[in-house]
Amino acid sequence: MTTTLVIVAFAAAYVLIATERIHRVAAALGGAAVMVLLGVVDAQVAFFSADTGVDWNVIFLLLGMMVIVGVLRRTGVFEWAAIWSAKKAGGRPFLILAVLVVLTAVASALLDNVTTVLLVAPVTLLVCEQIDAPPMPFLVAEVMASNIGGTATLIGDPPNIIIASRSGLGFDDFLVNLAPIASVLVVVLVGLCWLMFRSALAFRPDRVRELMALDEREAITDVPLLVRSAVVLAAVLAGFMLHQLLDVEPSIVALLGAGTLVALSRLEPADYLADVEWSTLVFFMGLFVMVGALVEVGAIADLAQWATSAIGDHYLLGSTVLLFASGLFSGVIDNIPYVATMAPLVQDVVREGHGAPGADALWWALALGADLGGNATAVGASANVVVLGIAARNGHPISFWQFTRYGVLVAGTTVVLAWVYVALRYFVLA
Amino acid sequence: MLLSTEAVTAARMIGEGRLAGLIVCEDDGTPHTVLGGSQVVRFMIPEYVQEDPTLARVYGEDAAAKLVDRLSTRTVRDLLPRRQDRTALPVVDRDATTVEIAAVMARMHSPLVAVLDDEGRVSGAVTASRLLERIFTRDGDASS
Repeated sequence: MTTTLVIVAFAAAYVLIATERIHRVAAALGGAAVMVLLGVVDAQVAFFSADTGVDWNVIFLLLGMMVIVGVLRRTGVFEWAAIWSAKKAGGRPFLILAVLVVLTAVASALLDNVTTVLLVAPVTLLVCEQIDAPPMPFLVAEVMASNIGGTATLIGDPPNIIIASRSGLGFDDFLVNLAPIASVLVVVLVGLCWLMFRSALAFRPDRVRELMALDEREAITDVPLLVRSAVVLAAVLAGFMLHQLLDVEPSIVALLGAGTLVALSRLEPADYLADVEWSTLVFFMGLFVMVGALVEVGAIADLAQWATSAIGDHYLLGSTVLLFASGLFSGVIDNIPYVATMAPLVQDVVREGHGAPGADALWWALALGADLGGNATAVGASANVVVLGIAARNGHPISFWQFTRYGVLVAGTTVVLAWVYVALRYFVLA
Repeated sequence: MLLSTEAVTAARMIGEGRLAGLIVCEDDGTPHTVLGGSQVVRFMIPEYVQEDPTLARVYGEDAAAKLVDRLSTRTVRDLLPRRQDRTALPVVDRDATTVEIAAVMARMHSPLVAVLDDEGRVSGAVTASRLLERIFTRDGDASS
């Protein structure tokens, strides 16, 4: 009876999160509260259990990176890089778009997707105004680059952070397994942008002078802070790459980096905490308690047992279903609750594989499907919603269907290519 | 200044007259609200520069001349906040004291208040600078 009630409460909270009938934080906290009232969750289960509690590694990794970004963005380096790149592209719209796509993808692999598009979108609008180009193709391409680039690393997209924490896979594992396909997909995205937007991007030689008149060096507001931030960021990335060797969790690396940068920057707390998305962190906590309750009553284990017997040793079939289903789900609902729910399930299935060849591919199928599927619709990823909001506020509204028309093509193409990659790398050529 | 007046005209009037703002009337002459100079300036600066103030630094001085282009084809109505966010017109009677005028300005965060005659028509306005001058010098009339 309790199991049924937990599943019903979980499903109800999930529907509220997906439909956004109430704020997702309220839905997740409400769902967690119901789990407590049902007697499934207590303080031990919620706060101190590695299997059923709040995953503090995820929370503090996110918090650490948000603080680092909060300091880094005050240096103006992103604005400098975007304007410098646009000027190097000679004011040619498609070349600028391609450069900004690559820049966004690389930044997104190292930073949160939403933060990346918040940094890139305003400077993109400025460049578009200077060269008299329509901003829509640029903004759509950038948000898709952000979702694809975020796939490449452990820290690039929240679903990857959840997967890393559950699977025990490290930063280098993500880099080796996902960065190659993410790089290919960025190139594919540039090609798709050529097909989708080339006719809208006419070159205006008479406007090049206005672009060249911008002084990107003025964007750098604090050179000493930029130098200190670059050193700390490099050290943090080195720490991520070496974390398995040093037996240190990525969350500890991020917190150390954040603490060091805060001490060196001498900024006020209001400044370096301004970019911390407290609501996102609380949402994660509520979500972990909800999913932990499913684990606690054995619902995840039952589902995993069923999935294990259904897959057997057909991990290619399992990866195929998981990748496409994840892509489909992530296109219409937030991929964070989806991956938070699926991660313990995949963990059980992989564990039951006892190191069988191809079992680990399930993790990469989940990551690729969830990360890339977010491009399909305007609500598929948080970054999409943020960019559409910026576009509307600046008088260049992009409708849901306008975005989705391009999104379905990009998400469909990249998910299929990701499947080819998984099939070749982990099965055919393994 | 009417709601249908061109935005460029209103901006020029504020600039050339060094005014704190303008009293905006309906097209039939009924007082409607106050358009502060900062509201006009806010409309001339792109939203993306307001979201990322670092970008303001990359423009050269020549770019300032083009800011006025953002007002072309706009009217005063376009410069006002959304209806639900608009403040009521700050008004005082002709016999209002200095403290009364200061209280209205403070309460409504307005750089000027309209002075109405007995029939409810605008007969003048008091700016914050004129009010402060009056307070410090205790000289002259409160209306300007």
